[in-house]
Amino acid sequence: MSDIDRVSSIAPPPSGGGTSSRDVNEKDFALQRERSQRIIKAITPFVSIVIAILVSSIFIVATGGNPVAAFQALFQGAFGTPRAVGETLLRTTPLIFTGLALAYGFRSGVFNIGAEGQLYMGGLAAAYFGVTFGGMSTYLAIPLIIILAAAAGAAWAFIPALMKVRIGANEVITTMMFTYIGKYVVSWLVTGPLADNSGIPQTAQLPPASTLQRLSAILPFLGTGRAHLGIVFAVLLAVVIWAVLKYTTLGFEARAVGYNPFASQTGGISVGATIVKSLCISGALAGVAGAVEVMGVYGRLFDNFSNNFGFTGIAVALLAKNNPLGVIAAALLFGALDAGGGTMQLEAGVSQKVINIIQAVIIFTIAAETIVTWSIEKFRTRKEAGL
Amino acid sequence: MSILAQVFTADLFAAAVRLATPIALAAMGAAICERAGVVNIALEGMMLVSAFFGTVVAIFAHSAWLGVFGGVAAALVFAALHALASVNLRADQIVSGVAINLLALGVTGFLMEAIFGHPGTTDPVPTIPPVFDFPTGGSGPLATIWTWIDTIFLSYTPIVYFGIFCAVFMTWALFRTRWGLRLRALGEHPRAADTVGISVLRGRWVAVLISGAMAGLAGANLALEQVGGFTENMTNGRGFIALAAMIFGRWVPGFGYLASLLFGFADALQIKLQIFTNVIKIPPQFFLALPYVLTVIVLAGVVGKAVAPAADGKPYKAKG
Repeated sequence: MSDIDRVSSIAPPPSGGGTSSRDVNEKDFALQRERSQRIIKAITPFVSIVIAILVSSIFIVATGGNPVAAFQALFQGAFGTPRAVGETLLRTTPLIFTGLALAYGFRSGVFNIGAEGQLYMGGLAAAYFGVTFGGMSTYLAIPLIIILAAAAGAAWAFIPALMKVRIGANEVITTMMFTYIGKYVVSWLVTGPLADNSGIPQTAQLPPASTLQRLSAILPFLGTGRAHLGIVFAVLLAVVIWAVLKYTTLGFEARAVGYNPFASQTGGISVGATIVKSLCISGALAGVAGAVEVMGVYGRLFDNFSNNFGFTGIAVALLAKNNPLGVIAAALLFGALDAGGGTMQLEAGVSQKVINIIQAVIIFTIAAETIVTWSIEKFRTRKEAGL
Repeated sequence: MSILAQVFTADLFAAAVRLATPIALAAMGAAICERAGVVNIALEGMMLVSAFFGTVVAIFAHSAWLGVFGGVAAALVFAALHALASVNLRADQIVSGVAINLLALGVTGFLMEAIFGHPGTTDPVPTIPPVFDFPTGGSGPLATIWTWIDTIFLSYTPIVYFGIFCAVFMTWALFRTRWGLRLRALGEHPRAADTVGISVLRGRWVAVLISGAMAGLAGANLALEQVGGFTENMTNGRGFIALAAMIFGRWVPGFGYLASLLFGFADALQIKLQIFTNVIKIPPQFFLALPYVLTVIVLAGVVGKAVAPAADGKPYKAKG
């Protein structure tokens, strides 16, 4: 019996011996098996979070830290005060957009690993047009800027999309290269052509009309510090993307191509056009993330302004199983990790880099789902054996 | 004209070979890996952990060579993770690779602060010296020619020469040996290979481990032969460029090496040209972006004609 056989034979429920020795006919068995697999699929994300916390705890213990104190400090830093909650929401906001970007891509079978680059382009558009449209009414300026930022993100994804469809260039390499190029473009623009006159490599401060209001400025009793309106927009957009995927032709085609491009082609869907559309929509969503950061948090653009939100979006989308509504919850988790990381480092002396490890383990366990199914089965058989 | 003469020196070509080496090592390993049917997008992470653990071992064992072994060992551990996920657990190989890249970033960053007490760059380590040290200099055309030969062919560190050796040896092994034929069968038609009694599981594991060892050498070369220390995220996309070089080299290790020379040359050129920014008046970011732009151009021009192994990236499940 090879290892492959051993792994694949783990999934079905235990048969023969044990507690259930009653007669089960084949149909019942199949139904039961499908149900248990569906349950396992549903709890996979939670199990992978637990595994990630365990693995990161090992790292913390190995370097002489106390994982319980570390995670307590992290939780306190993320949710302890209204201000901390605000900080969590602040970091959740861009992650919802990038998570949606990746999830939309994954749904149609493209891996937009370069969301970070599109995010930079969106930020660039917001920094430029934010100043240009500063004289307009804010109700006109903000939607316009967001649309232009989305277009910038989509444009940055368009060439990789075209390369994928026309010549089969893997988007994982091309979008990654475009990320590096995009970061250098921004680096050049903020040091030269778009620099303000402060001597610091950054663009000019956005006028009030093109900045996003803080939540606490509208509803002072919230006391949520720097959290801004972007979070409301992000949640709404998640619902919109969910509806687009579920109810529109656009979304249906994207999902169909993601499931089976050959069948879709046979069924009359243009696979190439769908992939280009999906990657551009993904890029547009990432572009909005950058714009919202510029308009809501910093009010300007500078080098390395993104805290790798594009890459964290990968973990967000995978943890959410590419469900746009799930993205909100997954983004909140990673936003909280990000916000609490500083407190953890200060109070428990554990480097916040441990968050990268947590992210990686979550992605890894979801990719290798069998690890999770295997641990669940192991756990269940042990329980049944009365341990 | 004088600028051209200042730019295109023997040093430039030697720098191109040196800078191409980490990319080439990773690209050749990846070619073996994909020929066996496993996509390895985790090259970047494997290079990074090797560079880190290589530096750490070199610092604490006071031996750059032990550092090389330490680095390769660390990369092998990460490669084993990738093999476990993509071969045994039939995970999405690209997602698994991304997880490993992120894990490498996290582990190196975390341990960096735990060991050295600060983020950023480790203490410096002495670099491994070049293999040969022939006297150069003197005057006359003969001395000039000798200096060129010495710089372009005889000035390198051990891993650079090992890379050149691999370009020949791996191509031979892959296309002229029974082992190579069997390995390629795993990437073209694993079912057929399985039917005639070749173990898909073992073959793919070996291929992923070879790729890990090569990426490990690439990281060791970067940290212990070129830089002399570790800086967070010092690989800076080289793992992805290596994948492009592998495709440009049509999944043939030797061609992958030649493709890497192109990227090495672009890198050497951009470093050299940065010296002349006050003369040429071009922002440095344009030069810095050059290797990445070149990668895109190369992919745009070549990919359509290059065909990946048929079962590349597809998990294999034995019927049982």
